[in-house]
Amino acid sequence: MSSLKNKVAIVGIGEVPTGRFPEKAAIYHAIESARLAIADAGISKDDIDFVMPTASLYSSQFNTELVTCRIPEELGLKNAHTNCQIFAGGSSGSCFLSMAGSLINSGVAKYVLCAHAERLGTGVTAQGGIDLFSQAGISVEWEVPYGQHYSSIAAMSTGRYLHETGCTDEHMAAVCVSNRKWAELNPNAAFRKPLSLEEVLSSKMLSTPLRAKQSNMLFDGGSAFIITSAERARDLTDRPAYLLGTGGRVTHFAFSQEPDVTRFGWAQAGKDAFEEAGITPQDVDVAEIYDSYPIYQIIGLEELGFCGRGEAGELFLKGDTWPGGKLPCTTNGGMLSQGHTGAGGGVALIVEAARQLMGKAGDRQVPGARFAVETGTGGTYMDAQVSVLGTEIV
Amino acid sequence: MSTNQKPGPVVNEWARPYWDYAKQNKFCLQQCNDCGKHIFYPRIACPHCGSSDVKWVEVSGKGRIYSYTVVENNAPSAFQADVPYVVAIIKLEEGVQLLSNVVECDPYQLEFDMPVEVVFEKLDEEVTLPKFRPVKG
Ligand SMILES: [Zn+2]
Repeated sequence: MSSLKNKVAIVGIGEVPTGRFPEKAAIYHAIESARLAIADAGISKDDIDFVMPTASLYSSQFNTELVTCRIPEELGLKNAHTNCQIFAGGSSGSCFLSMAGSLINSGVAKYVLCAHAERLGTGVTAQGGIDLFSQAGISVEWEVPYGQHYSSIAAMSTGRYLHETGCTDEHMAAVCVSNRKWAELNPNAAFRKPLSLEEVLSSKMLSTPLRAKQSNMLFDGGSAFIITSAERARDLTDRPAYLLGTGGRVTHFAFSQEPDVTRFGWAQAGKDAFEEAGITPQDVDVAEIYDSYPIYQIIGLEELGFCGRGEAGELFLKGDTWPGGKLPCTTNGGMLSQGHTGAGGGVALIVEAARQLMGKAGDRQVPGARFAVETGTGGTYMDAQVSVLGTEIV
Repeated sequence: MSTNQKPGPVVNEWARPYWDYAKQNKFCLQQCNDCGKHIFYPRIACPHCGSSDVKWVEVSGKGRIYSYTVVENNAPSAFQADVPYVVAIIKLEEGVQLLSNVVECDPYQLEFDMPVEVVFEKLDEEVTLPKFRPVKG
């Protein structure tokens, strides 16, 4: 298998705030994010030859617009030869890197615009969101009739993990607190007020042992990035974010078919990505680990080898993962605090990894960040996608 | 989506026997004639070895709770009247696993790996759902 290692790089990033914006059409979030990414890359809009939107879940009408070239028309892209959607749920950001990277590396495309926009905050009602996510990605034959939904899914991972490791609700709550500390420094985050362990642990029980403040909330938002070859990247900027390694595993469709709901495929995916990059977790300066619920951020850190099984909770509790800590983790605040925008949660983590490596993270910049790892998972944690990025070719 | 009517399974034709047996209060799985393994959920071909030579067999209906949760709030619309209800992954003696509800119990007395057995709950004239209850004693 031909490797993308050292061959491609992110050269521009763009993002709009995550929140509730009833006055803004969904397309705004895509177009404004794309404009910011193009400006950040220092290229002309007409350099872009391939537009790669991911999917929006709130409206099939809007999603079809993304499929049918609305982004190139809105932006007035004169030299785009293809507009083609890539969608793998929460893994879409990771898949942008491998799919767009492959197109660049093969010469099919020169500059790929990867973009996302979503309106799950104001485009659907709160109960509508719950009902949407009691069907999306959940088997209508084998799970929907039993009242399955994403809270019950996260609760079953959490419960089994606590049973096997002896960790506590406090460890889970500590993830929310850590992510909030980062979000306090992120102007694009939906939740920026300090959050305490007590607030998390006293919030409403959803599905035991998962509480309301351990659950993501759905919002409007968008993010975008530009990817090109390593050679072109060097001409554009002193600090592109090079793709150094990728790894992935697909494990299930129906959540109930997953043999280990406390591990999934992260260990193998992580091993592949780190081996390709030629670095180890100890070399990583920022770990942009997919959250959506605290348990998945804990599993991600542990299975990727940042610490042992049952040890991640302590890192979140002690502050190792906080701003200024030894292992800065999910530095945009994640879906728990920046907010969940469907496929955008993963795209935002790619953008954040690049932002940290490019030295553009403002108040939350991790000083001298050289290596970042990003993870994404879609559906009911159906896959494990890992990307390693760096400021230099290794 | 806004209806509060319980969603029945959207049945694939090759899974129809599973639901027909359930209606007769029988718990049946596919088993592969070539590799001998049990199969869940029903497939058009064995997911273990790829063989299309599969048969239906009645099985014990016994297993253990691999994981579970008690849904208290933010349930899907059709299930709001049921809270608190238990969603669980059951690992069956035959080596396959499935999602179900654990019923006929105090949800707060359940434990991980607890033995359970199948019971049948009629949803309507068309559909009977296999569910599970703790094994007594
Ligand atoms: Zn077989």
